[in-house]
Formats: sequence, structure tokens, C-alpha cells
Amino acid sequence: MIGLRDALLDFIADLRVAGVRISVAESLDAMNAVAAAGLLRTRMREALAAALIKEEPDRAMFDEIFARRFAGRSEAARDPRHSRGGYDGVAGSSGGRSASAIPSAVRNRREYDDDDAPPGATPVCKPARAECDPVQGPAVHDTSASQKPTADDGEAEPSHDADGTASSPHRSDSAAEASTDGHDATGAETELAGIEAGRAAKLRTIERMPFASYSEVEFEAARDALAAIKRRFRVRVSRRLRIAKAGRIDFRRTIRASLQHGGALGDLRFRARRPRHIDLLILADISGSVKYASSLMLEIAAGARSCFRHVRSFVYIDRLAEASFERSHLAMTPTLDLYARSDLGRVLAELWDRRAALVTRATVIVIMGDGRNNRRPARADLLRDLGRLSRAVLWLIPEPQARWNTGDSAIRQYARAATALIPCENLRELERGLARIS
Amino acid sequence: MDVTQEFVADGLRHAHYITNERVETAVFLALALDKPLLIEGPAGAGKTEVAKVLAELLHTELIRLQCYEGLDESRALYEWNYQKQLLRLQADEHQGLHWEELSEHLFSREYLLERPLLRAISAPRRVVLLIDEIDKADEEFEAFLLELLSDFQVSVPELGTVRAHERPAVVLTSNRARELSDALRRRCLHLFIDFPGIEQERRIIELKVPGLDARLAGEAARMVNAMRKLDLRKPPSIAETLDWTRALVRLGVKELDTPSIRATLGVLLKHEDDRARVEAKASALVARPR
Repeated sequence: MIGLRDALLDFIADLRVAGVRISVAESLDAMNAVAAAGLLRTRMREALAAALIKEEPDRAMFDEIFARRFAGRSEAARDPRHSRGGYDGVAGSSGGRSASAIPSAVRNRREYDDDDAPPGATPVCKPARAECDPVQGPAVHDTSASQKPTADDGEAEPSHDADGTASSPHRSDSAAEASTDGHDATGAETELAGIEAGRAAKLRTIERMPFASYSEVEFEAARDALAAIKRRFRVRVSRRLRIAKAGRIDFRRTIRASLQHGGALGDLRFRARRPRHIDLLILADISGSVKYASSLMLEIAAGARSCFRHVRSFVYIDRLAEASFERSHLAMTPTLDLYARSDLGRVLAELWDRRAALVTRATVIVIMGDGRNNRRPARADLLRDLGRLSRAVLWLIPEPQARWNTGDSAIRQYARAATALIPCENLRELERGLARIS
Repeated sequence: MDVTQEFVADGLRHAHYITNERVETAVFLALALDKPLLIEGPAGAGKTEVAKVLAELLHTELIRLQCYEGLDESRALYEWNYQKQLLRLQADEHQGLHWEELSEHLFSREYLLERPLLRAISAPRRVVLLIDEIDKADEEFEAFLLELLSDFQVSVPELGTVRAHERPAVVLTSNRARELSDALRRRCLHLFIDFPGIEQERRIIELKVPGLDARLAGEAARMVNAMRKLDLRKPPSIAETLDWTRALVRLGVKELDTPSIRATLGVLLKHEDDRARVEAKASALVARPR
């Protein structure tokens, strides 16, 4: 006889395997939530979700694992795997989590988390709501469905057979079978995956996909998702580039104000806040291996121009070219030979010649590139000297960390000259890396 | 008060908040487990309304802290009434009091200006504390909230630790302008409120705009739902949908057609490029699905 507590612990362990971060305190909250909400299946599911799922994109995964772990009665009755009602465990299944126990969406997501994810892997972790033509498509879930009695409103029963075959919570066999009264039996599971939740799920999938896996299709999807990241970056930078919450006390104005109260210092006056001044100098490698990461970084930085005093953006392969965004497309002057072989040493020499116009003590130099120099002179000495003239040199590296310093990579030489080397294999890491600027 | 899920569901219905099991369960658990409830979702989906309805449900006061950039402890928690302290000092000037006696008076609750957080904690009965748009506050303020949300106590150096007599029901809302910390999320129950589906929005419209024809309410709900999928800069919120349907009633519109949509689009959409985008597709949006 396996208790509910063990079933919940197995369920939580499955979620953790799927990449959902759950603390011990949250596990306790989940137990208390189930104790308070009861074992009615939909209630129990919502109670567990409220306690365990703190980011909406995790919800689809949660529903999928829940559907497998806690089958409804009707499903249990039909499926011989669930034939032993109650909480009696099926031998050998308690807590077992074979590879097949992990939902397809999870398996795919974990592939992306691995360094050796196959290039071109296609995300399966789709938004929970089926996409449809906004104009033509009527396929919208009725969010009031959960208020109707649904066939899965029976008590939840832990399903200890981990051999789940349902590839999606919204299309699971059990759910389809349970539809007996014309309602969508999975209504409660699908109903809430609405427009914004779908967008959030899409955004997260693309945020976690390595740049190395990008094709033009993923790049365009990433550009579509960039609006939210640009906004967050702008907000973060504009907040950070401020000094203290209130300026220092302005004694002159305070004393003048006190004259109205017979000299009592009852009304303190403060100086206005002043923003910190930072100039941004961006060098982005647009050679084949890192072009997507560079383009996205330049676009994010372009969206936050107003937060900095000056922003100068350059792209390079074997030469330096000034970059700008015209009608959302990257333009460079002069045009670079996209088939040239990377030569950062030569680029640094060009930059050194123009240092008087480009680099001051307020400048943060941001380099995006893999540091692969085709075994040409690295000229790390120039980078070190530029670092001395500037506030900081931040190097964002879109290549997996395991590949740094392999082959023709000159990262080891540049590492001593840079203030920080920041791994940024995907959009999420890129956002974090750019946050270091402020 | 004995809180059950049925009590919450009935209360929400009485307050005319059309809801679903997810919202009901989350609100019920927040009350039953005394945990803060973090509500995320797009602007205008009804997050703040949950707190208002909750106060109505509990027949208690709603204390609201509107977050903004630069919000600090003095605005959120407490502040010493500097002017009053100064007056007291001047009044006591000739009485020859020692510093200990003076400071005992000056730093008593009489001179404390309670801001929303302290008011909620020191309230004699359970209140609803709404911390609205927490994502707009700075990260430092979010860190400051952690003590409050886990222990429902705050430290005032001059007075010591103030503990809640009755734990307030805390609701935090966020539009995800920035990512909230894991520490804050861990301390809260989570609820995501998305835009309603067509049927739910139709029911909301029928409830809030009584004079509207049922068929027109359905058409309006379908239209707004289709607009939200167009990836607009600012998709129409529920409040804007209601304003729009009220406008349709006032204009005597009996059936949605392209001219009536074009004439009233300003009520729904507040960005020119959004309007242009929808106007271009207005006729396709009006066409009913077969």
C-alpha cells in the first residue's frame, strides 16, 4: 500500500527531473495544499500547481506529468495498468523514473540543456494551446469549461506505472476516453493555456535553445521573442544606471525652506538624482559560427540606446565595420566580406588606431565572439591596453564552455585582458550577460 | 471564519467575479495556508480585481501598496513624523528633560507614520494587503519584502520587531516587466491569470453590460479574442472590452460590421499601429466562422 505522501513525493521528483526547481519548503506547501484542497482530481491538480509551479511555461509539463501520475477513476478502470484502485502500488514502479517516464516535452527540453544537443533539434515543448489562424480559426478553448462537471472530477489516484505513453497532456488517451458528456474532459487542463500562456511557453523555448542549434527559422523566432527581452534589458539598465535613491541633502535649499518655519529644519530638500554615465562600445563577430548571437545582441543593445550616453556598435570578421539597425535590419559600413576568415588581432589594431574617438574611462567594451582567430596573431596586448583606457571589457562567448581554448581558439590569451568572460549559449544567458554591463 | 473552497467560489460569484477552478483553488489555499498569493498575467486580465474581491469576500479592509521604481521602506513601511518630533522638541525645550526621556517620547508610536505594510501587519483584524505591480519596484525592495512575507513581521530599530496580530491575506501582482527572484516566488503560491476565452468573456460582458444583446455579446467576445491573437503592442484588456461594448450599446449597434468596428476601435486599442493592423483585417475579423 503506497500512501499519498509517497505518490506526491514521486510526483515532485518527476517534476524535478523535468527541470522544474522545487525547494523542500515548496514540497511541504504542496502536501499542505493537497490536505486543504482534498483529493478531487481537478482541485488537487490546481492545488499542487499553485504550490509547485511558479512560472507559467512550466505548467504544460506539470499537467503532462500529473495526467500520468494521477489517473482519474474512469481511466484507471479502463486501463489494466491502473486496475489496482486506491493507493496500492504496482510492483516495481514506486518512484521509478525510466527515460520513458519523462514526458516528451521534458526530454526535448533537457536535450537543449545538454552541451552536446544536436544542431537543428526542433523544440517539442510547444505552447499548450493549439495555434490557429487568429482570423479564421475558431479553435479557442472555453475557459469556463472547468466550471462544468467534467469526467475527470473523480478522486485522483496515483498511477505508479511510469510507462507513460501520452505525448501531450491535452491529447492523452485517458483524457479522450474520459470525455463522456460532450465536454472536453481535459477542459480544465487545456482551458487555462490561453493566449499569453502560449506566448510565454514559446518565449521560454526559444530562450533556452542554444545559438548553435539555430537555423534561419529559429533566428526569426528569436527575433520575434526579442521584444520582451529588449524591454527587460532596458528596464534593468535604466534602473541600475542611477545613483542613490534620493540625492544628497541640498543644504542651501533646505535652509531657505526653513525660513518659512522660523528657522526649524522641518523640510529637508534633496538634490536631484543624476544618472551614471556609461558609454557602450560593442564589437560583434558576424562570422558564420556566431552570427545569430551577434545579431541578436546588437538588436537588444540598439533597443536600449537611450539608457546610455553613447553607444557605438561595430561588427567584424577580419576588419571592423560600423553597425546600425535600419528598419530592423543590420546594416554595416563598410560592407564586410562574409566569407573572409576571422582575424580579431587585425580588428583590435584598427580599433587601437581609433581609440581616441571611441574609448574613454566611461566606456564599457562588450565583445561578442568565440575568439577563434584562425591561428593568426591574437594581439591580446592591444585588448589589455584598451582595457586600461576603459571602464571594463566584457566578453560574451556563445560557444559551449567545453570548447573554449580548443583548436584555433585564442580565448586563453584574451582572458587575461578581459574583465570578465561570460558564457552565453542562448538568449537567456545573453540577457544575463548583458545585464553585467550595468 | 471557516474558509472552504465552496465559500470562496460562492464569494467570488457574489462579487461578480467570473472565475474558474484554478483561481478559486489558489485563492482558497492562500487563505487556508496563510500564504501570499503571487498573481501574474497580462495587464488587464483581472489580477488586481482578485484582491478587491477577496477583501469583499472577507468583509475586511483592502490595504494597497502600489509599487513603482524607487519605492523604498519609508514609503512602504513607516516613516518618523519629523515635523511632529521637531515640534515636540521645541515644546520640551525649557523643561530640562534628559535625552533618555526625550528619545523615549520621540520614538514612540505616536510619532510613527504607518505606511501600508506596517498598517497591514499591525491591524487588529485580518486585512487584505495588495502589493500591486511588484515587478515595477526595485530588486532591493523585493528583498526587503522577504522577511515580511515569510514571517509577517518587520523590524523597526527604535521599536523592535512588530509581529502581525492577524496575518493579512497578501496578494502580489506582476506584469512581468522584470523577472522576480526565486526567493520571492518560493514564498508565494502562484497563479497565472490569462485573458479569458470567448465563452468566459461573453459571460463577463453579459454580466457587466446588462443592456447588450446576447448575440452581440458573443460576437464582441469573439472579436476581441481574435484581436488578442494578432500580436498587438497592447492587446485589449477586459476593462477595455467592457468599455467597447458599452460604446456599442450607446451607439445603438445591433450587429458588428466593419464600419461600426472602425468607428469604435479607439475604445479598444490605444496604439496607432495596433489600430492600423486591426483596421486592415477588420472585414476578415467580422466574417463569422462557418
